[in-house]
Amino acid sequence: MALKYMDKYPKNVALRGWILKPFFTTFKNMIKTTIRRPVTIMYPYEKEWIPDNYRGRPGLVFEKCIGCGICERICPTTCIEIVEVEDETLGAVKRPQVNVGRCMMCGYCAEYCPVDAMTVTPDFELATYTREELIYDPYQLKWDNTTAGMEVHIEEHLPSNLAKGITDQPTSAFKVDRPKLIGEKCISCSRCAKTCPVDAIEMIVVGENAKGKPIKHPKIDDSKCVFCEQCIIICPKDALEINEVL
Amino acid sequence: MSFSDWVNISDPLENSASPYGAAENIPYAVGSGLWEIIGGIIAWILNMIAPGNGVSTWLVSGAVTNALGLVLMIVVFFAVIFIVNLTMIWMERKVLGRIMDRRATRIGPLGYLQCLADGLKTFLKEHIMPDKADKKGYMWAVSIVIGSAVLIAGMIPLSPRWFLADYASGLLIIFAIFAVSPFMILVAGWAQNNKYSLLGGMRAAAQMISYEIPMLLVFAAVVLMAGSFNINDIVQFQMDNTWFIIPQIIGFVVFMVAGVAEAERIPFDLPEAEAELVEGWQTEYGGMKWGLIMLSDYFRGYVVCALGAIMFLGGWAIPFVDGLVVPELVFLLKVLLLFFILVWARGTFGRIRTDQILNIGWKVLLPLAVLNLFIVVLLKLGGVY
Repeated sequence: MALKYMDKYPKNVALRGWILKPFFTTFKNMIKTTIRRPVTIMYPYEKEWIPDNYRGRPGLVFEKCIGCGICERICPTTCIEIVEVEDETLGAVKRPQVNVGRCMMCGYCAEYCPVDAMTVTPDFELATYTREELIYDPYQLKWDNTTAGMEVHIEEHLPSNLAKGITDQPTSAFKVDRPKLIGEKCISCSRCAKTCPVDAIEMIVVGENAKGKPIKHPKIDDSKCVFCEQCIIICPKDALEINEVL
Repeated sequence: MSFSDWVNISDPLENSASPYGAAENIPYAVGSGLWEIIGGIIAWILNMIAPGNGVSTWLVSGAVTNALGLVLMIVVFFAVIFIVNLTMIWMERKVLGRIMDRRATRIGPLGYLQCLADGLKTFLKEHIMPDKADKKGYMWAVSIVIGSAVLIAGMIPLSPRWFLADYASGLLIIFAIFAVSPFMILVAGWAQNNKYSLLGGMRAAAQMISYEIPMLLVFAAVVLMAGSFNINDIVQFQMDNTWFIIPQIIGFVVFMVAGVAEAERIPFDLPEAEAELVEGWQTEYGGMKWGLIMLSDYFRGYVVCALGAIMFLGGWAIPFVDGLVVPELVFLLKVLLLFFILVWARGTFGRIRTDQILNIGWKVLLPLAVLNLFIVVLLKLGGVY
């Protein structure tokens, strides 16, 4: 009867190993892990190695930032707000402030930053006792040892192009779309020139009005422009608009 | 009268009230020695307060030293097997952790104090009893399950000089008490008024009763070969001849498999089956009750391994060595070696199915146990042993 029940199991016990094979497997694993120690990392006491481009909380290179506000616009959770700070060396400047409690660590701000001032940082231990502490002002946002690896660049490739060996990136809207002036609306207030973070706008005299005063129109330097749309936002008469090329 | 008149450690063999007579017994010597120190100090202080009183001399008399020495002896004996059990739990965690490629324990040196931390944690838990539970059955059943496990652990001698009682019925009485707990587990499962506990209790009863029969047949083969129930005689017989694992290798395998099932360990942990039955028959037991049930599981595992070492691995004897060399340590090392095999099996196998469990018990182990008994009878009749 015993033998009849054994029929369910492999016939050639010696070849298949049957019950001894798993025994051997676990014993081998046990010896192996005893020698090279288990893979577990005892987290609070020993830290895992983190790569430079680890997407922790956003970081800021304070001196590089131009306060253009692209990060504020691009943020999917609207956790970034541009605030004015009084710096000792730079004077009153605009810098981003991040509500880390709402941040989802996507790294878009670092990706779209035209001057690579926004970076990702390896800092992920962000627990605090209050929600107010989670709102990081520009000085808290600073990261001292920013390396080139922390900067995130947009890498847009088509798989079909890569297969063909073409590594050129397709043209981005940030490179070709530029503000366009509608001349008859402009009132020569030159607010756009004052607000431009990269000084790409220069007011040029194009003529004289009936009272004999000069008519000034903004001239946009395409090589300097970073497509931040600050001039478009600030224009009181909607004289500037985006010239969509793509 | 000075301190040395009251506190003096005498030879326990000279105590006329000793139940062990002329036999050497280390736990008894330690216990009575401890009482001679503690009781002697109490008597000394009492005598300083009231000189010449009768209580002081009564405290250090032979009868009182014997009685309280026996109590302390039980504490010493239990402490040793308790530490062995903690070592077994530690070993199980370590070995399982290495097999699963993870860290196992963290508290204390090499993580040894993890069990104590767990014990402290379970002590701090609230005592909760289900509203509609059978109160008497709930408490008594689990008390008897735990008590019987500790009792049989205490009945196993560690060596001819480290025992609580040297009794002729030996294996028989151990097995009789071993068989009490399936019934009480069934009672516990019913008393909790919970479907999971009831199912677990019924599974436990079915499994343990069906695996006791091949186990009993292996016991019978061992006893038949040694010609005695007494554990000392069985070990002495193996020292004089060969270890029983050589003629009875089938019996050894059957005993270990049935023993794993009796101790409700993986792969035979159907009564617990945390994936399907919450915690099996222990579902409604919380806090220290649960902790003691876990501890009693390990006590039962210790008993299985100790019986395996006594019956098949020559107990406290070392092969090719005349006489005994630290017999307690040798015996405990053999127990831990057998327990390592149990842990190894736990890390290797998954839980078997409900329909397989009785098949293996009745259709595989029972015929093998009968075959083992048959071989032993042939060897005995042939005059080999």
